[in-house]
Amino acid sequence: MAEKGLADKVRETQVWKSIFRHGPPNNARNRAAVVAGNVFLHLHPIKLKKSGVQLGYTWCMGGLTFFIFLALTVTGVLLMFYYRPTAEYAFNDIIALKEHVPLGIMREIHRWGAHAMVITVWLHMFRVFMTGSYKPPREFNWGVGVILLVLTLLLSFTGYLLPWDQLAIWAIAVGSNMAKATPFAGHGGPGAMLAQIGDFVMVSDKNDVRFQLLAGRFVGEPALLRFYILHCVFIPLVVGVLIAIHFWRVRKDGGISAPL
Amino acid sequence: MKEFINYLADPIRSFPITCILFYFMIRYYKVVGTKKFAWIGGALLVATYGIFALDPNFWLIITWPDNVPISILVFSVAFLTWYSLYKCAENDKRLEAGECPIEALPENREKVWCWPNLVYTELFAIIAGTVFLIGWGILFDAPLEEPANPTWAPNPAKAPWYFLGLQEMLVYFDPWMAGVVLPGLIVVGLIAIPYIDTNPKGNGYFTFAERKMAITAFLFGWLVLWLYLIIVGTFLRGPNWTFYGPFEFWDFHKVVAEYNVNLSEFFWVFGLEMSLPKNLIVRELPGIILTILYLIIPVVIAKWDKCKEMIEKVGYIRYYIYMYLVIIMATLPLKMFLRWLFSLKYIIALPEWELNL
Amino acid sequence: MSEDTRKKLNRREFFSYLSVAWVTFTAAAAGLLGMAFRFSYPNVNFEPEMDFIAGRVGDYEEGVDERWKNGYGVWMVKEEGKLFALSNICTHLGCVPTWMPAELKFKCPCHGSGYYTNGINFEGPAPRPLERYKITLTPEGTIKVDKTKIYRYEKGQWDHPDSFLSV
Repeated sequence: MAEKGLADKVRETQVWKSIFRHGPPNNARNRAAVVAGNVFLHLHPIKLKKSGVQLGYTWCMGGLTFFIFLALTVTGVLLMFYYRPTAEYAFNDIIALKEHVPLGIMREIHRWGAHAMVITVWLHMFRVFMTGSYKPPREFNWGVGVILLVLTLLLSFTGYLLPWDQLAIWAIAVGSNMAKATPFAGHGGPGAMLAQIGDFVMVSDKNDVRFQLLAGRFVGEPALLRFYILHCVFIPLVVGVLIAIHFWRVRKDGGISAPL
Repeated sequence: MKEFINYLADPIRSFPITCILFYFMIRYYKVVGTKKFAWIGGALLVATYGIFALDPNFWLIITWPDNVPISILVFSVAFLTWYSLYKCAENDKRLEAGECPIEALPENREKVWCWPNLVYTELFAIIAGTVFLIGWGILFDAPLEEPANPTWAPNPAKAPWYFLGLQEMLVYFDPWMAGVVLPGLIVVGLIAIPYIDTNPKGNGYFTFAERKMAITAFLFGWLVLWLYLIIVGTFLRGPNWTFYGPFEFWDFHKVVAEYNVNLSEFFWVFGLEMSLPKNLIVRELPGIILTILYLIIPVVIAKWDKCKEMIEKVGYIRYYIYMYLVIIMATLPLKMFLRWLFSLKYIIALPEWELNL
Repeated sequence: MSEDTRKKLNRREFFSYLSVAWVTFTAAAAGLLGMAFRFSYPNVNFEPEMDFIAGRVGDYEEGVDERWKNGYGVWMVKEEGKLFALSNICTHLGCVPTWMPAELKFKCPCHGSGYYTNGINFEGPAPRPLERYKITLTPEGTIKVDKTKIYRYEKGQWDHPDSFLSV
């Protein structure tokens, strides 16, 4: 009988056994158990088609997008410890993140991660289109994916304002002025004229969609707070729910696509 | 040489060139989709980029931290476009010979264990992703300009790079079109794709031959209309949103003689040599008639044999949704050409109603 | 429970109760959503003053004056015997154009719209001329610019007596 190694001894302790209910994943039974019994791994099927694990087929772009989303959540929460969304402090807090905090690259990772996520999510869509994976039975999940792509862009866009520098407010000024031109709902768009009775203007700069977005008539402090909440709480919550639906449907629609 | 490239890069010339290159890529995708082409094309792309980067003005643009993602995007899209065409060409040859696509081979249909096959790939992707992000974070500082100042706009004032395609569209369209209607239609159109494209073939494997129209339309929108415009917006637009060649210094005082004329002026003033009519509707009548004519194209061509065939296959609703998405997508290149050829500003210009087309 | 009490709720009545309940539920849900929507519009906002005193008529020379641009977003332009307060917000997407004295034009950095000194657009994507603000003389002889009232050229409002001062 071979002598037991340290690894085996650890595996036999009560603590280890209380955490992992199965043996090492070196046989069929345990390989199934490790995937099915782990809350994170159970996103996966226990067995899957070979093409579903081939980099040449999946490009890994969906997986990378999810990874970057998690990385952005972690770095974003860390950044929130030092950042105050007010016109007085925001800009100085961003400088402090570089100068007064150990590992002054947290904002860099967050920003480049945001750019990288936009790229990976586009490439993910590109791959899904090229392999025809939106075809039945995956039509609904493609739609969920398109909405996730739009929300990724919105997350990136709302985050763009937070440094409160010239780059930020002018990018948002241009972007939010497009909302002003929304037909019927924006005061500078076609159709707003129709909602005018005599001198009484129904759609004005004080009650249109841009006002709702900015909480004001121009990009000021209320807009900063609003974008901060959208960026840190509102959109991530929606994205989280949609990601859950997206992953669930990947499994329910038959896993990663393959020839019928 | 540099002057010549600057000259070619102007959208007036580079947009048609891009369209022609795109046509050749689709027409000869079997030549593009070979490894030999990849080596030659890849070497050429890297060499061109390297030579371009030697120029101080171009170097300034590509090393501006917020533009780094675009270089990454250009290279990864170039590679992945080639790669998917390569896979398509490979599969199409097999399909022509009556074989199944590679993805359907028994050894690829075989089921494998998630642990270790997928889990280890994911672990590797996570590690590589982390290293990549940290490396990027160390190499490039996140940009930070002067504190926000609502009374003074920097020049040029650019949106984040992923919206530069939209910002470039704003040169040709009024905000309600470029900022609201067109982006909205892009999203709706994308969601509608699986419901319009009823072709059951090409599900779950790379193929071009079996879904030519779908792939051509998507790639044209994605590569030419979206990515090309982002590249123009980033690399070729300088102060005052004027065009600057890749090697041109961003001189704030570059004067461009640009005077754009509305269709109503063309018609009444230059055509009939009279002053603009006072009545708004009469003034814009030529534009309104043109727009209506353009919008009934799908109805008129529905009589054609090819369209009849399509209607029989997919039904009226799908036909009209598809056709309207296509002709609205086509307004962008159309409007660009009209602007370049005739300095046409708006087809319908009703600033009184905030309605310009 | 007797037979007749059970019969009190017949089929027709059941459906009418159901529709009343359903309408009430829908109305309540819509009301709550409406409240959430209305919540995003504050009743009060603390934005800067919309009018200011812009010196005296004699302070301005012929041409474009930039002294109120940074504080209030207004160019004072004096030409052809008129003094008017020109908004510095580009009518395209709300960027701030730059005054270029050498070329005698306002040029927007965002999308390249250009305006003459009188505010009329002549190049780029701007759909209409810059707006002018209400400008009046106070009893003390100073100029008062009121940004809440705008005058638009394409509506023919630049002839309005409050849109300029004759000098």
